[in-house]
Amino acid sequence: MARDYAADISDPVAGEIVSNVGVWVDKEVVPVASDYEHEDAFPQPLVDGMANLGLFGIKVPEAYGGLDLSFECYAGVCMELARGWMSLAGIINTHVLVGYAIQEYGTEEQRQKFLPRLVEPEIRCALSITEPDAGSDAQAIKTQARRDGDDYVINGQKMWVTNGQRAGVYLVLTKTDPAASPAHRGISAFLVEAGTAGFTSGKKFDKLGYKGVETTELSFDDARVPASALLSGEEGRGFQHVMSALEVGRINVASRGVGVAQAAFDDAIRYAQKRVAFGKPIVEHQAQQIRLAEMATKIRAARLLTLDAARKKDSGVRSDLDAGMAKLFATEICQEVTLDALRIHGGVGYSKELPLERYYRDAPVMVIAEGTSDIQKIVIARNLLRDYPV
Amino acid sequence: MNIIVCVKQIPDPETPAASFKVDEAAKKVIPAQGIAPVVNPYDPQATEAALRLRDADGGGKITVISLGPDSARDAIKHALAMGADEGVLLSDPGFDGIDNFQTATALAKAIEKVGEYDLILMGRAAADWDMGVVPTGVASILGIPVVSVAKGMEKDGAGLKVERVLDDGFETVETSLPAVVSISNEFGEPRYPQLRQIMLAAKKTVQVWSAADVGLGADEIGAANRWLPLEALYVPVVESNVEIIEGDTPEEKATALAQKLRAAKLV
Ligand SMILES: Cc1cc2nc3c(=O)[nH]c(=O)nc-3n(C[C@H](O)[C@H](O)[C@H](O)COP(=O)(O)OP(=O)(O)OC[C@H]3O[C@@H](n4cnc5c(N)ncnc54)[C@H](O)[C@@H]3O)c2cc1C
Ligand SMILES: Cc1cc2nc3c(=O)[nH]c(=O)nc-3n(C[C@H](O)[C@H](O)[C@H](O)COP(=O)(O)OP(=O)(O)OC[C@H]3O[C@@H](n4cnc5c(N)ncnc54)[C@H](O)[C@@H]3O)c2cc1C
Repeated sequence: MARDYAADISDPVAGEIVSNVGVWVDKEVVPVASDYEHEDAFPQPLVDGMANLGLFGIKVPEAYGGLDLSFECYAGVCMELARGWMSLAGIINTHVLVGYAIQEYGTEEQRQKFLPRLVEPEIRCALSITEPDAGSDAQAIKTQARRDGDDYVINGQKMWVTNGQRAGVYLVLTKTDPAASPAHRGISAFLVEAGTAGFTSGKKFDKLGYKGVETTELSFDDARVPASALLSGEEGRGFQHVMSALEVGRINVASRGVGVAQAAFDDAIRYAQKRVAFGKPIVEHQAQQIRLAEMATKIRAARLLTLDAARKKDSGVRSDLDAGMAKLFATEICQEVTLDALRIHGGVGYSKELPLERYYRDAPVMVIAEGTSDIQKIVIARNLLRDYPV
Repeated sequence: MNIIVCVKQIPDPETPAASFKVDEAAKKVIPAQGIAPVVNPYDPQATEAALRLRDADGGGKITVISLGPDSARDAIKHALAMGADEGVLLSDPGFDGIDNFQTATALAKAIEKVGEYDLILMGRAAADWDMGVVPTGVASILGIPVVSVAKGMEKDGAGLKVERVLDDGFETVETSLPAVVSISNEFGEPRYPQLRQIMLAAKKTVQVWSAADVGLGADEIGAANRWLPLEALYVPVVESNVEIIEGDTPEEKATALAQKLRAAKLV
């Protein structure tokens, strides 16, 4: 039975889109998500379904054949995808994020080359920042791109690349000037296409949750790319460009937190009315009502915070403070709410028969990837301090 | 081929029984709180059938009509988002309390006002009242053939070949056009609205026609003028009693059960 998850979307067309995606999720995703998840199998039919709806072109500008919808709409869509299965919102995340980086910072040649192919999508995108010895401290990356005539030659090792086996183009953060100070001035981002000689995608990680979508290593062994693969065509701008694109990723991950928490809550409030203990439905024990009220309040706050950050981004102003707060809050409450939903279900919640254990395992990646909660707090504090000069 | 699809908005059939209430004095269903109405599940299949025919035919227009309150606009928008071309909402305070025959009359009048049509598609029944009489009613008022409970169809010269669902199988019939065809769930899944189509549908205006716009007078519509007087409306009370059949052997138990069933005139 449909609850109106689009109620807080301010734009009516975006609201209709979110409702329609929700119907698709309820019918196509919810019944099969746990099966794919337990097998860690890539959900090709669901990805085809998302493509058919047009989700991969959601943020591509109309001039390049996309739908050019708002971030508010995108956030609502990601919440609904994650309500069915968090991994689907992850499959689309780096795609939209890299598409955004190309649109905002790419050269016209790069836009024309890639953006139309992202709509169908003919190719999907991955983002590769993290390395074995550099995660939160992204400026510590060692992968190097050395200019050689009209080309760059890339060498290095990347870790934790979501969509790392099936992407057609990878936005890869490298050092073009390892000696630069501050280090970010020596960092450049490249659009590396799958099939580039010397570029291979390696081992797929076996993860706690976030299954179905592959997260892999990447190796660059004298991988040669043309100079036209340098995002924006300018060396030393990659760090800024990727950090700006990560705002889009934070809106996505915040939305995932809302969606997974909502799914857990929806199951919990129904179960609490059916399960009887000590002679009455457990929901009639006031402790459970209080628990449900707290869960719902957290989810609502996270939803509004996330939509607010998305609308801020739509208005064109920098939104790293807002996106950071939304990501921090929504993913932290998602951990709490999924555990509370497990508690309400008692023993059956721990069984693989129900999706509660999946929600619970899917929550932690969101407080880690795309900037850990600690890093979000640092970003938030840095922004606040800028606003309070003394 | 120009096709008209009739779609109805109904209370969500997934509404839990506990939230389903009837005002017995007013003989009305009280809508469940906080549960949005939905499109009658068979009707998107009628829209899907229209889209497939239009695509196979390579042209023509699909007009969607719904009779209902302003919220029924959503049912029309859904069909437009699937790919239908135009929408008409028949809405009038005077329609409150109308019956199936008045609904069929109003839809037939609206269909005549739309004008050129080759085919009218409807759902096999509305999942709220589940009577399935509107398609036949519309056809009889318009004086055209009706084929009910269709699971498939294709253009056949100037007519249409329709595969029907029977109790014990299927049959294929031919009909001249224009005709009314009601679509059954066996037709297959309707398509999901694509984001691009939803955006296009949002730009289309749905025409709103009153009873007077389709030439219906106040003395023809509304609860006072029902053809089918509603005597009573209530949620039936279902009683169940459990009786354990005693016996030492399965044979004895079965014999005792058979005797009880015979006494109750059930076998
Ligand atoms: C499933 C999954 C998918 C991923 N997908 C991608 C991807 O597609 N592309 C990509 O590039 N990366 C991806 N990542 C990597 C992810 O972004 C990093 O794991 C994350 O940024 C943390 O980096 P790290 O693992 O190196 O942890 P570390 O940076 O080593 O952090 C370890 C701990 O130290 C804390 N810490 C670090 N610095 C500070 C500080 N200054 N102050 C306080 N505490 C600090 C952290 O908060 C954390 O608690 C993915 C990770 C996972 C788990
Ligand atoms: C505004 C309104 C007020 C009503 N008030 C009352 C009331 O007070 N008391 C009461 O008993 N009943 C009331 N009804 C219900 C009405 O009597 C019948 O339910 C209705 O006429 C349809 O009949 P059915 O459900 O048997 O449809 P069916 O014949 O089962 O429907 C078959 C198909 O006919 C088409 N169709 C049916 N109805 C419509 C429609 N409205 N618009 C477009 N296509 C349609 C659809 O394609 C549908 O799939 C009301 C209906 C409306 C629309």
